[in-house]
Amino acid sequence: MTDQTPILQMRGINKSFGGLRALIDVDLDLMPAEVLAIVGDNGAGKSTLIKVLTGVHTADSGEIRIAGRPVSIRSRRESMDAGIAAVYQNLGLVDTLPAPQNVFLGIEPIRRILGIPFLDNAAMRARTVEILRNRVGVSLPDLDAPTRSFSGGQRQAVAIARAVAGTDLKVLVMDEPTAALGPEETRNTLNLVRAVRARGTAVILISHNLHHVFAVADRVQVMRGGRRAGVVSTRTATRKDVLGLIVGADVDEDAHV
Amino acid sequence: MSEGGQAMTEMTAGAAPPRDRNAGRMRQLSWWERYINIIGPLVMIIALSVGMAVSQPRFFAFDNLMIILQDAAIYMVLGMAMTIVITGKGIDLSIGAVAVLAALVMAILIKDHGWGPYPAMGVALVIGLACGTLNGLVITQFRVPDLLATLAMDQIYRGIGLVLAAGLVLARFPEPIPFLGRGRIADLIPTAAIVGLIALAAGFVLYRYTWLGRYAIAIGGNREAAQLTGINIDRQKVYHYALMGFCAAIAGILLTGRLNAIQATAGMGFALHTIAAVVVGGTALFGGRGTMFGTLVGVLLLAMVTNALVMLRFQFFWQLVASGVIIIASIGFYAWVQRRQGTGGRGDD
Repeated sequence: MTDQTPILQMRGINKSFGGLRALIDVDLDLMPAEVLAIVGDNGAGKSTLIKVLTGVHTADSGEIRIAGRPVSIRSRRESMDAGIAAVYQNLGLVDTLPAPQNVFLGIEPIRRILGIPFLDNAAMRARTVEILRNRVGVSLPDLDAPTRSFSGGQRQAVAIARAVAGTDLKVLVMDEPTAALGPEETRNTLNLVRAVRARGTAVILISHNLHHVFAVADRVQVMRGGRRAGVVSTRTATRKDVLGLIVGADVDEDAHV
Repeated sequence: MSEGGQAMTEMTAGAAPPRDRNAGRMRQLSWWERYINIIGPLVMIIALSVGMAVSQPRFFAFDNLMIILQDAAIYMVLGMAMTIVITGKGIDLSIGAVAVLAALVMAILIKDHGWGPYPAMGVALVIGLACGTLNGLVITQFRVPDLLATLAMDQIYRGIGLVLAAGLVLARFPEPIPFLGRGRIADLIPTAAIVGLIALAAGFVLYRYTWLGRYAIAIGGNREAAQLTGINIDRQKVYHYALMGFCAAIAGILLTGRLNAIQATAGMGFALHTIAAVVVGGTALFGGRGTMFGTLVGVLLLAMVTNALVMLRFQFFWQLVASGVIIIASIGFYAWVQRRQGTGGRGDD
């Protein structure tokens, strides 16, 4: 993996809110087709780092490169244009719309009749089936039903499909995707993460749950106090190592965290 | 679906395949549950029709059916735009005043300034569009809640109308105004009903096949998601109200033609009657969901009830009682269905 160019590099990212230094010289490397988990305590800087990446916040200083090329990310739009998509915890779906219309919300394909642009609902449907199959790896029971009748995992699949559909997707950011799900749904969602990676998309996964992190991630980046506390491979490191990095000391794995 | 299933197995090779991809999902909605929003009022229409067939066969005389269509026409035009406004989590209480203001200016231009009917109607439409746009700007720029903003604008437009008309009734207009309002095409179908049906058909296309309707659903269904998608919510809402104002002006012209007269105090019940018809037709009062066909059904149901009550010699004002009962019955019914489907808790998260 070391001989490859990272698909995403963040170098020396700083971000302060007033006197609070939320991010201090943070680096991040994401390899192609890799799942990188970001873990850390509340206030460790996970969310701020992701918000910088997705253009919600602008970094005070630092550099972001996509596939080796420096990019400027000062807005959501610029982040999306750079090929970064985010799936938030609340998924951001319009539950009264069916899946294809959610997937293409804001980027609807158009068919002109007498020069008037009409939404091409049939194309949306066909392309959604294709995206779900080729890039997400699921099929939905009923594409024409509003997504409110879907399970948590299915809604997650729609949200991912939407992230994939919009851009020439290079990095998929998933913010606490398993936080509100039951065991079965969680398993499905972790499978979704694997499926997306298997189809060539690099994933950044933010999670509180080390079980889930170790189940899907290739590497784990630990944040502490606004700094990068360390990066470990899930093949060589243990949960105990990661916990130690999170709290900043060696700990017993039995200790209650 | 089978291809998707294969892809799933293929991609999970190596990882534990999920035992049941659909575990935990709510059961599929059956077809009647998915269209329940329209079935409620349709059942009421059928019940009413059966009741009238038994007690007053005259109800189904061709002439009476055309009268019902005639009565419904104005609310078809208003209901079309109101469906979009309400879907976008808005509401417009000023439509009566806008309709009358537009109609009064048209009437004054014709009667006092010798304008021809067509340019005067054009001015009426422009005034409707302007009033609607102003409503939208007040709501989006001053951040006044839709309900209060349009309530206040209703007062303003009504006031201007009263000043302009100075208490007069303007009557007797040149064609095509009476023809639009009360004429019949081929001496059979009310022109106004044709206008109303065309408006609803246009609304159907707008709702389903254009950005206007799609973004209205997004804004009403999950405002935050709409925003994250990059939809300019303020601009869309201005479009909704502009369309509403434009349709209100059409309604004003139809109203003028129907009585061949207009005065500043007309159109008082427009807003509430239209909102009632739209909501009875299955459009969610708090946005995110609606149908044009439902609005047609809602408008027809209210017109049929009014007509039936008149035919059964109830005093006209019983109509108000009846529409109130219908509104509560419909909304209560939807709420019951929603609870049964168990979707209440997971609305737009």
